[in-house]
Amino acid sequence: MPSSSGYFRTHYDQDLRFIDTRTQRYCLWLLLAWLAIYPFLATEMLLDLANQVLLASVGAIALMLLTGFAGQVSLGHAGLLAAGAFTAGILFKEFAAPVWVTLPASAAIGAVLGLLFGLPSLRLRGLYLAVSTLALHFIVAYLGGEYEAKRGFSSGIVIDPPVLFGWVLDSAQAWYFVLLAASAGTLLLAANLLRSKTGRAWRAIHDREAVAEALGVNVPAHKLLAFVISSSLTAMAGCLFAYFRGFVSVEAFTLFLSIQYVAMVIVGGMGSLLGALLGAAFVVLFPYGIEWAMAILPIPTRWSGMVFAVDYAAFGLVMIAFLLFEPQGLVGIWRRMQNYFLLWPFKQQLMRK
Amino acid sequence: MNKSLVTLALLAAGIGGTPWALAQEAYVVGLTGALTGPVAGTYAPVIESMKAYIDQVNLRGGVNGKPIKLLIQDNQGEPSKAAADAKKFLSQDHVVMVINSSASSTYAPVIAETKRAHVPLFFAGAVCPKEVFPPAEELQFCSTSFAAQYDSQMALAFIKETAKEPVKLGLVAMAIPVSRGEIDYAEGLSKTLGMTPVEKQIVPPPTPDYTPFSTKLKEAGANWVYSWAPWVTEIKTVEGLRKLGWSGRYIAWAHIQAEEDLARVKDSDFYVVGANALFQDNLPVHSEIREVAKKANLTYPVQQLAEGWVSGMVLEQALRATAWPPTAEKVLASMSSLKVDTKGLRGGPIEWTKSNHFRTQQYYRVWHWDTTKQAVTRVKDWTSYVVK
Amino acid sequence: MQTLINILVLASIYALISCGYVLIYRVSRVLNLAHGEFMMLGAYGLLATASSFGAHPFAAVGVASVMALLVGVAIYFVLMRHMTGESVLAAVLCTIAVGILLRGLITLTWGAQQHYPMEQLGWVNSSISVFGDARISAASLGLIIATAVCYSGLFLFLRYTRWGIQMRAAGQNPLLAAQRGIRLNGIYALAWGLATFTGGIAGMLIACDSGLQTTIVTIGLKAFPATLVGGLDSLLGALVGSLIIGTAEVLLINYVDPLLSDVAPFFILLVMLIFRPWGLFGTREEIDRV
Repeated sequence: MPSSSGYFRTHYDQDLRFIDTRTQRYCLWLLLAWLAIYPFLATEMLLDLANQVLLASVGAIALMLLTGFAGQVSLGHAGLLAAGAFTAGILFKEFAAPVWVTLPASAAIGAVLGLLFGLPSLRLRGLYLAVSTLALHFIVAYLGGEYEAKRGFSSGIVIDPPVLFGWVLDSAQAWYFVLLAASAGTLLLAANLLRSKTGRAWRAIHDREAVAEALGVNVPAHKLLAFVISSSLTAMAGCLFAYFRGFVSVEAFTLFLSIQYVAMVIVGGMGSLLGALLGAAFVVLFPYGIEWAMAILPIPTRWSGMVFAVDYAAFGLVMIAFLLFEPQGLVGIWRRMQNYFLLWPFKQQLMRK
Repeated sequence: MNKSLVTLALLAAGIGGTPWALAQEAYVVGLTGALTGPVAGTYAPVIESMKAYIDQVNLRGGVNGKPIKLLIQDNQGEPSKAAADAKKFLSQDHVVMVINSSASSTYAPVIAETKRAHVPLFFAGAVCPKEVFPPAEELQFCSTSFAAQYDSQMALAFIKETAKEPVKLGLVAMAIPVSRGEIDYAEGLSKTLGMTPVEKQIVPPPTPDYTPFSTKLKEAGANWVYSWAPWVTEIKTVEGLRKLGWSGRYIAWAHIQAEEDLARVKDSDFYVVGANALFQDNLPVHSEIREVAKKANLTYPVQQLAEGWVSGMVLEQALRATAWPPTAEKVLASMSSLKVDTKGLRGGPIEWTKSNHFRTQQYYRVWHWDTTKQAVTRVKDWTSYVVK
Repeated sequence: MQTLINILVLASIYALISCGYVLIYRVSRVLNLAHGEFMMLGAYGLLATASSFGAHPFAAVGVASVMALLVGVAIYFVLMRHMTGESVLAAVLCTIAVGILLRGLITLTWGAQQHYPMEQLGWVNSSISVFGDARISAASLGLIIATAVCYSGLFLFLRYTRWGIQMRAAGQNPLLAAQRGIRLNGIYALAWGLATFTGGIAGMLIACDSGLQTTIVTIGLKAFPATLVGGLDSLLGALVGSLIIGTAEVLLINYVDPLLSDVAPFFILLVMLIFRPWGLFGTREEIDRV
């Protein structure tokens, strides 16, 4: 984003580049180096948190593609994660399938469900679409529950750690690298999609459907494509979740999880991949922050046993605050900070998209 | 976009926190339980009572001269949260035992984590998984009063003994796997006892009105109904049946809310079968609980605290048998042969052996509301079942 | 016969909850997903007043109802007023956030145990026999009556009173309404107040009938398909939709599998959304983008 830095693009090719300047390249190398040594420095707890953030970021990027870019609302994200996780769980239990079978299978199931989730979008928009995805969430949860009950897995399906190229994935460090790769892969895929024709078509649909159609964009096909891609990515995230946690059960995929993912997109900042990452980190780390704050702040002892309720209330408050005061989310704050330093000592203008 | 991403990540990485070390001057035990959330009504009182018990042990000087540090994390009955809690206990707090007081959906992740770290896992107030029954899994233990299969055996035996007419049995479960499994078992068992199961209702948890389910039971002509489910389902179904004017008899598992609700419903044909002594017995231990509850100003009614008190006794005993400094291995060894005197809260001691992590003998009592005495009364005293 | 009564009770539970969704949507085009929480707040409000006005049950109910009304008005002025002009999704998310906040606060205040406001009020939920062998509990009967009163009251209010007509005008075209001198803020606040009022009443009656716990909030979500099937902006639709969903649920419990009653509403909803998204009685409209 070289908007106000004194750096200007002089060629169309430059619009497509990921890395513009040398500083960016150095920063990227530094980041990669840091990411590579992080698991060896962090405590187990911090490593687990990093893993959770990385896992959530896959789902958040997928939802960002759908909602932030293609403009289709979905409240069924948890249902899709559940679909992916159950695909892995069922294939593992019934056929003892290895991970290189279950992961593509989850993606395929996700794609099929995405097509189904997407069909109403051809007729519905906004609110009604959100509601239809909500309905699908309940149906997926019901099917999963029936499977668990019928097969007698009353406390969930336990899955063994996956084996990749003869290497058993059971340490947090190993998972860190797998999840990092998954997250980076999703990010690259998303970024690439967005700078292609498909991405531009999605943005056109997002801004105004009629105009997109007039520009020659095949609106129904692109809408469905958005659903299919987003859903299969999400289902893969669900599959990874199943292996990462070592179990699958319907209760892990509540409506609140869907809301959390939507919150990631909102809090992070609509229409920005960086936003998806920031949102994922924020939403995952938030409860730990609250817990930590409650441990050091003087609060009524009655509440100390109810961390979750406090957390719940605070989460609601934070969501309201973002919706009211910072609709552009964390990314908005970040951009303003960046501009402040870029333009210093001059006063910054308000950046409104 | 990318530049911002890169720099931000750098910033974030720089802040990476410092591990906060924990002084290991206590027996550190981690509990993950449903303090809030949809299932909290069943588990929160257990956790509260257990904490009160341990606080009181610590006031008296702890065990082996060291305090017990009971870390409590609320998991809302959600598996992902329980997994994170277990991970935190094992990696950050280095606990010597993990306790689970939550819905059965949280078991799988907690079992997986404790297995990886080889730390004993104690189910307190939460339904006992089949792994604790003989032959028991090495790491899992359970002190909860209710137990799959044995409960139904007792309840159906009571029906058979009490009923003079041929029994047409209605069965009620909640749409959660544990409850459904047990009711299916009871259905099969009832046939072998010469009863006719006429209707089985599986009620989904969020139900605005229980009357339709009750209607079905009534119309099927059941004269006895047995329910083994969370208390909400048990009590609302019997109330629903009574609203419809059903005059049969109803027996359900005595969850922690039973004593209050028996007195509230005042129905002499509503029986509960349970394994904890009720507070109307007024044993010395009951007045002790009352006193502690009053002093600690606990949220939940005193009648609901027995289960957590028993769990506290077991925890204390297990740690007392573990010499300082404690390790998970040592705690495991002491748990594998343990005998806890429950001071009358149960029909007998809780005894764990190498192969039996449930208890060697399970005792039951049956109560109902006596309309002439205007009090909850016992209709059947401790009946024991040998757990094999 | 009993089946019929059961359908009637379930349908009126749904209908009483639904009218809150409809009121808010019709007037301000916002879908209030915190309605279940408002219902829960009403019920806990009754619990609070019941313990302080124990001797005068009617006063307790009255105070709790007024409180429910005021909560809605307050939520509008503090929060939802600022969401006008934002995208539909933002407004909906805002209501979700309010819901999460309320749920957290209620759990903090009242804990997780089961309460029985009916007993606290000193009333007995007796069983009344109607039409021969069919029976109904007093609270359920109260629920049916309350639904009837609320709906006819709302109908008369919207048709004949000044405020009601203004409310309809604001719903049809806010700009024109504002230019004709209708105070939109007041009207919107009134709609919110009425919605939380009816929701609160529903919550109180359900709590009286079968006890109160934090799980009551899911019932609000279950009433949602009923509203959509009928049409989000039609009160008549909400009534018919509730009847359809209620009938489907009770019949499924009675003749097929009780477990299906949990998903059936959402299934019907999905079918409806595919074939007639604006519902049976709703108006066909251009629906906003994200």
